[in-house]
This record gives sequence, C-alpha cells and structure tokens, in this order.
Amino acid sequence: MEAPPDNDVLWARSLHFTHPDGSPGLAGVSIAVREGEILAVSGPRGSGKTTLLRCLSGLEPVREGEVWFNSTPLHTLGPAHRERLRRDRFCWIGPEPGLVPELNAWENAALPLMLRGTSRRRAKTTALEWLERLDIGEAARKRPHRLRQSERQRVSIARALAPAPTVLFADEPTAPLHRADRGHVLRTLTSAARSHGITVVLATHDPETAALADRTVNLLDGRPVRTVHLPEIPDAEGRAACSISV
Amino acid sequence: MLDLRLTRAARPAVQLRRLLVAAASAGTGFLLLSCLGYALKRPEAAGSAALRLAWCVVPVAATVYLALAVARTDPGTRPRPGLSAIGLGPARLMAVSSLVTALSTTLGSLVALSLFLHLRGDLTGLPFDGAGASFLAAGKSLPLAATLTLLAVVPVVATVAVALALRPSDPRPVVRPQRRYLPFVRQAGGPAAGGPAAGGRTGEVEAAGGGGAAGKGTPAAAAPAGVIDPRFTSPSLTDKPDDEGAGDTPAGLPWAVALVAAGLTAQAYAGRTPPTPAFTFTTVPTGAGFFLLGWLLTAVGLVLAAPGLTHLCGRLLQCARPGALRLLAGRGLMAEATRIGRPLGILCAVTAAGYAVTTLYDSPGRPFGPLSALGALVVAGCAFATLLTVAVETRQGRAETTDALLRLGAPATVLRGAAALRAFALLAFFAPLTLAIAALAAFPLTR
Repeated sequence: MEAPPDNDVLWARSLHFTHPDGSPGLAGVSIAVREGEILAVSGPRGSGKTTLLRCLSGLEPVREGEVWFNSTPLHTLGPAHRERLRRDRFCWIGPEPGLVPELNAWENAALPLMLRGTSRRRAKTTALEWLERLDIGEAARKRPHRLRQSERQRVSIARALAPAPTVLFADEPTAPLHRADRGHVLRTLTSAARSHGITVVLATHDPETAALADRTVNLLDGRPVRTVHLPEIPDAEGRAACSISV
Repeated sequence: MLDLRLTRAARPAVQLRRLLVAAASAGTGFLLLSCLGYALKRPEAAGSAALRLAWCVVPVAATVYLALAVARTDPGTRPRPGLSAIGLGPARLMAVSSLVTALSTTLGSLVALSLFLHLRGDLTGLPFDGAGASFLAAGKSLPLAATLTLLAVVPVVATVAVALALRPSDPRPVVRPQRRYLPFVRQAGGPAAGGPAAGGRTGEVEAAGGGGAAGKGTPAAAAPAGVIDPRFTSPSLTDKPDDEGAGDTPAGLPWAVALVAAGLTAQAYAGRTPPTPAFTFTTVPTGAGFFLLGWLLTAVGLVLAAPGLTHLCGRLLQCARPGALRLLAGRGLMAEATRIGRPLGILCAVTAAGYAVTTLYDSPGRPFGPLSALGALVVAGCAFATLLTVAVETRQGRAETTDALLRLGAPATVLRGAAALRAFALLAFFAPLTLAIAALAAFPLTR
C-alpha cells in the first residue's frame, strides 16, 4: 500500500460504493485532489456526486477501494477517527444551510471552532470576521429564521470557512438559490477559498458553477467520464405521441 | 385497511406508548365504574357519590393529555411526502390518528369493564372472598346505559381532543403588531418573534419599513423614514433580544406566579381554622372549600409557570460566556421551553399534590384506600409518561439539527452531554421548587 504523491491532499483509488439497499452508488472512481485547488464534481442528478463527497469526507464507510487524506488511509479508520478528522480537517456545506435554529448567526459560525476547543472570545472574533467578509456582518446577531435563504447559506459558508479547514466539501451549495444570489454566494466561496488556500471539492450539476473551478471531473452513473453528452434521441417523427403501451 | 396497516407496522417503542394509553384508559375506566358501584351500593349517599365522580375528572384529564402527547409523537401518523402523494394527506392522517387513539382507549375501557365484572363476580364467582364487594355493588344488576356512558367518556374525549389538536391548518402569516420601542414596552420580553418551535406562529414576515410606521426598525429600513427616534432603532437595542435568544419567551410567568401565590394564600387562610371533621377525598366538610380552591390555583399556577421557568433555566444555563456544550444545552432548553414546560409543570403539580395528600393521609385514622391509590397511580403515571413522550417528541423535532451537528463533526459525547445537562438543570431547578411548594401547601394541614 503506497502513499499518494505529496501535492495531492485527497486521493481516491478505484472507489466502489453500494448503498445499503443494494442500489449502485459508485463504480470505480479514481480521483486526486491537489492542494489548494477547486475541483468541481459535475454530472446530472443521481450520478453519484453526493455519494462521492460523502465517501471522500468520511461520512460513509468505504468498503471497496481506497481513500487517502494526506497519507492517512480513511478507508481503514473507524467512525470515531473519521469523526475527529471531519471536525479538525474537513468542513461541509450542503444544499440546505443546516444551521442550529436556536443559535444566532455568529454563534452558528463559531460553533465548529468552539467544538474544537477554541476559546469563546477567539471563536467569536473569527466568526464575526468571516461574516463581515461574506457581507452579512449586520445580520450576525439574528437567528436563522429571520434570515433569507441566501443569507443563511452564506452563514453556513462562514461556518465552514471559519475553522480554516484543509478540505471544504460543498455539495450543491447553491441549489436552492436564484441566479443572482447563486453567483454571489459562489464568488464569495471561491474567492475566500483561493485567498486562504483551502482545497474545495464542489459538487454541482450546473456547468456555470463548474466553470468557476480549476478542474472538473464529470460523473455519470457513478463513473468518471470525459463527457456527459448522451447520444441524441432519434427523430421522434412517425411515432405515436403519447403511446406508453409499446 | 391501509390505515390499520400503518398503525400495525410500528416499532416496539411506539406500540409501548399506545399500550400505556390503553393502560391509563383502563385505570380511569375502572375508577369511573367504581364510582358507579358505590352509587349503586348506597343510593342514599348521592352527594358522596357525586364527589367521587367529580374527583375522576383528574385521571380522565391526565389520560387524555397522555393520549394527546402519544398521538403527536406517533411516527406512523405524521404527514409524509410519500403518503401525501397518494392522497393520504394531513387530514386523513388526522383521522388515522384519532382512530388509533380511539382503538387504544377503547381497548383500555374494555379491559376495565372485564376486570370490573370479574371482581364483581359476574363472570366467575366473587374473587378474594368478596373483599371488594363494598364498592363494586356485587349482587346488584349493573345498569347498561350508565356503564356504557362512563366507559365511553375517555375514548370519546381523547378522540375528539386528538382530532382537534392534529387538525390540519395552514400556517398563518403573523401580522406583526406595530411596536414602538419604548422602554416600558421593551422590558416586557422584547420583540416576540415566533420561533419555529412556537407552535402555530410561523412565517415571520419581515415587514420592515412599512411606510414610516415603526415596523421592524432595522437600522437600514428605519433610517429613510426619518420620523423615528434613532435611540429606539439603534442596532444595540433591536438586535439584542435575538442575541439572547429571547425571541420566543413564553408569556404569562408573572400571572402564573401570582396564581401560585394566591393559591398558597387561600390555603393558609383556610388553615387558620382547620376543619374539624376528617377531611378526605370522599368527605369534604363545608369549611374545606378554600383548601380545594387554593390547591387548584396552586396547581394551575405551577402548570402555567413551568414554561417560563424552563426558559429561565435555559437562560441561566447559557449565561456568562458559554462554551459549545452549555450553549447547545441552554439554547435548546430555551427553544423547547413551551413544549417541555407544560408536561413538566403538570408533573410538578401532581408531585406537589401527592406530597400534600400523603401528609393529609398520614394519620392512622384515615387509611389510603385502594381506589385512591389507583387514582394516584394513574395520574402520576400519566404525568410521567407524558413528560417522557414529549421528550421523545422533542428529540424527533430536533433530528435535523442533530444531523447537521453530526455532519459538522460534533462529537456524540457533546450532544449527549448537552441532553444530560438539560435534564440535570431541569431536575436541579424544579425538584426543590416543587418540594417547597408542596411543603407550603401541606403546612396549613399539619399545624
């Protein structure tokens, strides 16, 4: 078992995954994420993007294949070790903000830092700085239900960036937003990640979003492919319009 | 049929909760039938029989409350997208919930009836050498209509209550009353933002600005209006309540404290001249009216005060620079104050009443009868089971938050620690309070 090369921070080799109900998830994915880059994992819905991110971040146990993080074999670690790794090195942004409803914005953003044992004062300073940077400084004392969706999503991004993770996993971070908000959120995310040298693995089905990344890996049916263009549907002329009883 | 399949395919914990409802219903039904037996045995003592029946209101209320809590927690009858897609929406699920409640309470009533008949000796011979013949009216024929009416009380009331509580309703947008940030208004809780946990109040609409009315008063919206004193719309004033999580402070704590005080006062007043005849459940002398009124006021006050006190408890838990553990525990308690507080208050009231009653019956001349014991068991058991059920409901409601925290990598020990801290704080706060109130309530009786 050899360790991956030095400039790859995260590395998967022939990763297979089957969901507990038996439906296929990933079928032999091998990717390498370099340090400080923004890697887009693109593909239509159901192509295994989220599953790949969950496997890479240690949320799902890997049974077939290997996942390495900085020469740590994730596929051999137990759940407790993976949890600590997730807390200390990774951060996650989902399609839903997933904020704790009873904490206000800065407390939400400071929560990962506090969970790592940072003092409250330093956690608060860092969280407020990040909220300022993401342009929601004046909402820092509001609770999530009084924020709009895009603001909540930015709080979620601040929460992910505040502890300065090594790798940031963003799973369709702009899915529930309109296009204007989407662009804003994505630009802040990518620029913050670039200026702080944070590696980002970004799952998206949107080619515009993928264009902001350094590199794109296309997935289709759990496999990395060069192109996701499917063969054209043959001309429908001459067929009955609404026939489902073939 | 699909409805029944939904109820059958449930986990053992859910079935256990339904069985608890059935057991409570059985106990209550047996108490009601015993009242009937007493009335049959002594037709001349109508007043005493009516008093016994009146006391049965307490177990009936406790049983209905438990049934309500169990129906709310039932995962089989919660609106689900899959079922909604085939037309089994909230309205039908409300019907299913009512049906399940009706089934379990009727089962309990049937158990009560068969037990009652068995003890009377209608089914087999009179058991236990006829020890229970006094209140069971053995030997007299049981009037059918009265029996059925009494047995139907719990199922009917519980079913109607569940249907009313779970009836589907659209979230109404809260029309925010125009608030002027005057000092005397602000100290009464600040902007009462309807949090997501605050039941019917959802959909906080940000009606900032509003044509110069002092609507929300966020600085950006209020500044162009120009007519509002900036003192009242400065960020430090408008934002502070949110910082402290005061958005959904349960109202009514002052009233509840006043009620408790009034109740204790009424008891103390009645205690100046203790009623000379034996004061028990079944024989209330004329002078004891104030006692009962005082107990009632104290109990209602405790129930009303508990949400506010729970909120206060959470606030105390998270004050003074909290870390992640105290923050999660305290804020969680503040957010769930209303939901947890009510059954907690009921449990406190029941405990206090139990303490006072034990003091009352502590003399050798007044033994604690089997029916009183059964009633006390039903009420206390229902109160405790309701609190546990509501705790389960709270955990279900916070499942998404817990998931988000786990995805963040929050250690499970922190989450468990927060839950334990919450429970410990509530126990440490409410146990001395309940004991103090119980001691005060029992004090006039023991002089």
